[in-house]
Amino acid sequence: MTDLRTAWFRPAWRKLKALGPTAQALAVALVALAALGPILPVALFVIAILFMIYATWAYSINLITGMTGYVSFGHVVFVGTGGYALGYGVKVWNLAPLAGVALGGLFGALLAVGIGAVTLRLRGAYFAIATLVTPLAAFYIVSGTPALGDGAGLPMNLGFQIGTQYYTIWALLTAEVALTWWATRGRLGLGIHALREDEDAARAVGIHVPRLKLILYVLSGGFAGAAGAVFAWYVSGVFPDTFSLLFSLTMLAMIIIGGMGTVLGPMLGAVIVLIPHLYLLRILPQGEPIAIGVAVILIALFLPGGIVGTIRRYVPEARRYLE
Amino acid sequence: MSQASGAETAPSAPKAGRGKIIAIVVAILILVAIAAAAVYYLSQPTPTGTIKIGFTISKTGTFTVEGTNSLNGILAAQAWVNAHGGVTAGGVSYQFDLDYVDDQSQSANIVPTYTQIVTQDNAQFLLAPYSSGLTSAAAPIADQYGRVMLSHGGASNTIYQQGYQNFVGVLSPASVYLRGAIDFIKANHPTDNLAFLYASDSFSSIAGSSGAAYARSIGLTVVYDQSYPTTVTDLSTQLTAAKNLAADDLLGGGHFTDGVLLMQQLAGVGWTPKLISLLVAVTEPSFQAQLPGVSNNVTGPSQWETSVVFTSAMASAAGFDWYGPTGAEFTSLYGSMTSGATPTYHSAEAAASIFVLAHAIEAANSLNTTQVRAELASMKLMTFFGKFQVDSTGLQVAHEMIVDQWQAAALKVVWPTAVAVSPLQYPYTGS
Amino acid sequence: MADIGTVVASLVYGVLLGFVFAAIAHGLNLIWGVTKVVNAAHGEFIMLGAYGAYFLNLAWGLDPLTASLIDAALGLGVGVAFYFAFLHRELRGKEQIGLQTELVTLVATFGLGLAIVNVGTLAFRYPVGLRYNPGNVVLGGLSVPLGGVYVGLASLGIIVVSHLFLTRTYLGNAIRAYGQDIVAAKLMGVNPTAVAAIATGIGFAMTMAGGAFLTVYLRAGITPLIGLTYAPISFVIVVLGGPGKMWGSLVGGVTIGVLLDVLQAFVPVEFAYAAAFLFVIPILALRPEGILR
Repeated sequence: MTDLRTAWFRPAWRKLKALGPTAQALAVALVALAALGPILPVALFVIAILFMIYATWAYSINLITGMTGYVSFGHVVFVGTGGYALGYGVKVWNLAPLAGVALGGLFGALLAVGIGAVTLRLRGAYFAIATLVTPLAAFYIVSGTPALGDGAGLPMNLGFQIGTQYYTIWALLTAEVALTWWATRGRLGLGIHALREDEDAARAVGIHVPRLKLILYVLSGGFAGAAGAVFAWYVSGVFPDTFSLLFSLTMLAMIIIGGMGTVLGPMLGAVIVLIPHLYLLRILPQGEPIAIGVAVILIALFLPGGIVGTIRRYVPEARRYLE
Repeated sequence: MSQASGAETAPSAPKAGRGKIIAIVVAILILVAIAAAAVYYLSQPTPTGTIKIGFTISKTGTFTVEGTNSLNGILAAQAWVNAHGGVTAGGVSYQFDLDYVDDQSQSANIVPTYTQIVTQDNAQFLLAPYSSGLTSAAAPIADQYGRVMLSHGGASNTIYQQGYQNFVGVLSPASVYLRGAIDFIKANHPTDNLAFLYASDSFSSIAGSSGAAYARSIGLTVVYDQSYPTTVTDLSTQLTAAKNLAADDLLGGGHFTDGVLLMQQLAGVGWTPKLISLLVAVTEPSFQAQLPGVSNNVTGPSQWETSVVFTSAMASAAGFDWYGPTGAEFTSLYGSMTSGATPTYHSAEAAASIFVLAHAIEAANSLNTTQVRAELASMKLMTFFGKFQVDSTGLQVAHEMIVDQWQAAALKVVWPTAVAVSPLQYPYTGS
Repeated sequence: MADIGTVVASLVYGVLLGFVFAAIAHGLNLIWGVTKVVNAAHGEFIMLGAYGAYFLNLAWGLDPLTASLIDAALGLGVGVAFYFAFLHRELRGKEQIGLQTELVTLVATFGLGLAIVNVGTLAFRYPVGLRYNPGNVVLGGLSVPLGGVYVGLASLGIIVVSHLFLTRTYLGNAIRAYGQDIVAAKLMGVNPTAVAAIATGIGFAMTMAGGAFLTVYLRAGITPLIGLTYAPISFVIVVLGGPGKMWGSLVGGVTIGVLLDVLQAFVPVEFAYAAAFLFVIPILALRPEGILR
């Protein structure tokens, strides 16, 4: 036991400390999620799965909207695509759900290549509108495609495999958090930061902007798709109304509230949007969507950095620790 | 953002800084833990001598109207059961206790909520949520924890094809909704050309396409068979196409908004079908209120109306058991609990699920899931809502849909002839 | 697949539908073109205009065309209030509307839209409808709903009036100047805040009147969620026509309307809708300034 501690744990902890407090905090949180999993009561376990799915979505939209400032209003298209990939894979090709998740990630990434190649050259509102129409078109297409279940969608019976779901989404989330953290570091981080501040200037100093944007978009699409597949697994089905704009808006709200482009922001945003939500369901279901809308307005107008960004702005000492 | 600048511009004491980060992380963890614990501990204890029935209901969100009507039906049914000696099993008398949560019509809420209802609130029996998409998310939990789940709102057939063991439907499935109108046409106007135009959501698309298939199978001519998305803004092209194919009758629709759009645009394209039968929209009072002239003689299928009468005598004549209040008793009980409202068929089908469950428990003389499920599989019951009998997948096969028609601003049951209060008026004249 | 009669009919209906779409897009067009702000809550204000027409119809039996004038007056006030509440902070003193401002206003208005929709669904659970039926007219064997014709005329009217306003009046020219170059406009003595506020007010007046026009066409089944259906259509139309060009919303609207209806004669309805929405992407890629020059 002592050997394990000196040989593995202490060096790892030291290396983690060297990475910075944010990395430490997130690593601790993620390890805790993994370790505590088996001892959580079922009801909390199931909530934790949903939380991790939402957090993965938040990080995925953070990769594009948070990091580059390109507002992806239609991000839900990846969620639905991932779900349909899993649904089709499981029902028609008899894949195991885990393979379906991989398929979801793959199709999400491929779709992002397709959409990104055309739309990433558009700026600001034009990009937002171009992405807005993609889930609408997807909704109509799946509603009219018999192979994808038409309007009835693809309901599935995959039992109650919450254990596998939990660790699958945990792995996705951890990978994504690591990726996000890595993308804020060093030259890559500086490059992305430059891109967000002034795209033309970034291009002028030699940063390969189109490739960077596309890579980020494809990664965000892949993770959103994989998490979308896990969601379809979780709710035992995928339906055309998975392409609802409500999901897109919720994902945006998470990073707006948490802090766009930060490493902690999406996690915070997911906590704030999801946990009170489940609590309020029993008490005041109507008030919650309005509260989120109002929160988004206030934050956009007065605290544009979200919670993390605002704390960083007004509490300079915290900058080292809150990324 | 990068480490280099951070270290240079923040020379504050590292020890105090580390304390801060720990403090922040701890604060966040505490917040999360409090919220999670709050959710966890919001479970409800079960009073002794009661049977707890758990479910979610769409009090808000897209299905708020249907969900609220269903909930009121369930509450009325619970009141009736508890006032009439409750449910007796194994020599003990139990009252029904309801444990329900709003699901906001969103599937993400279903899994955590039903898991809580079963594992923390210890509900012994479950009802399904209102719509088919939400039901898909809830059904695995019923099987996983061995609880019977009764479906009162999800009419899509697909859920019964997924192999769930504990899932039982009370209402007629979507596939038979349009049969009444089709049977009428076959019996009275068999040379009519039929046009099917229906929304592509799960329920409507199954109802529409099954209807078209049924019509063809009994020898009627179907000249048009198309679906449209529920968010449709213009159906003129479709209606013109059907008109130009010499269709006589129009069947389909979807929900309220597109049903109303269909009616408005029929006038706009100048087509007056001889028979119109639309899903869901027609049986709403606001259908007639918002389309005063053109709604006259429009028909629509319904699971139940207040004027349809089932009695215990009819039950024994058909070899069925009987349980629960009569239609009139239910209507007046419902009215007394809702400040005078009239029950809709959503209220009735939801109430029926409670009565079905009560009878199944008594007939099985047990609260054990396996025994109650076996009883549900074999029993033949009639309630104020109609007949109940399921096939091996839990699909309802005995309940019959009725057809309503607006006649002089009043909604009348016109089919089947055995329960009709007024004959079906044909043709539709557009006013 | 479909007979020629159906195709011709679908063309006519598509044009009429296009007029309806154009009517609800004008307001977005103006505000976007002048202040460069994309109002993500646009759909919700269409919805409010439609409800305005409903209440005016309920209380005083007004038909939607008359109600649109009252809605427009209301919209003027609402728009100016909206400007000062949401946009002023961001736009004040700015000489160039940059990406950051676009982002902030987009997000803030999206939050507003979210809030309005949810308050609306709390307040109005049941769909509502107007008591109004303009009837139809039969032209050459084709039945044409008069509601669509009226809205088309109103749409044209809005374009003509706004064109005259923007080119012949001082205020109109000031608005155009602000839209082209804020610094130059200021040098000419234009008060940027006043101009932006008034332009927003006029835009909202058009939007809420557009909501009333929508009820000429869609007389029943009005719910708080209709904004979610018509907002994406409005955005697509304005992008197609080019923001700031008033004729653009008519061109964009008719394009989408015709695409929608005519395609339906050949392919399943769902694919027609998918195609109509996806059409904007190649346009944006190849000709981002819009169809009109």
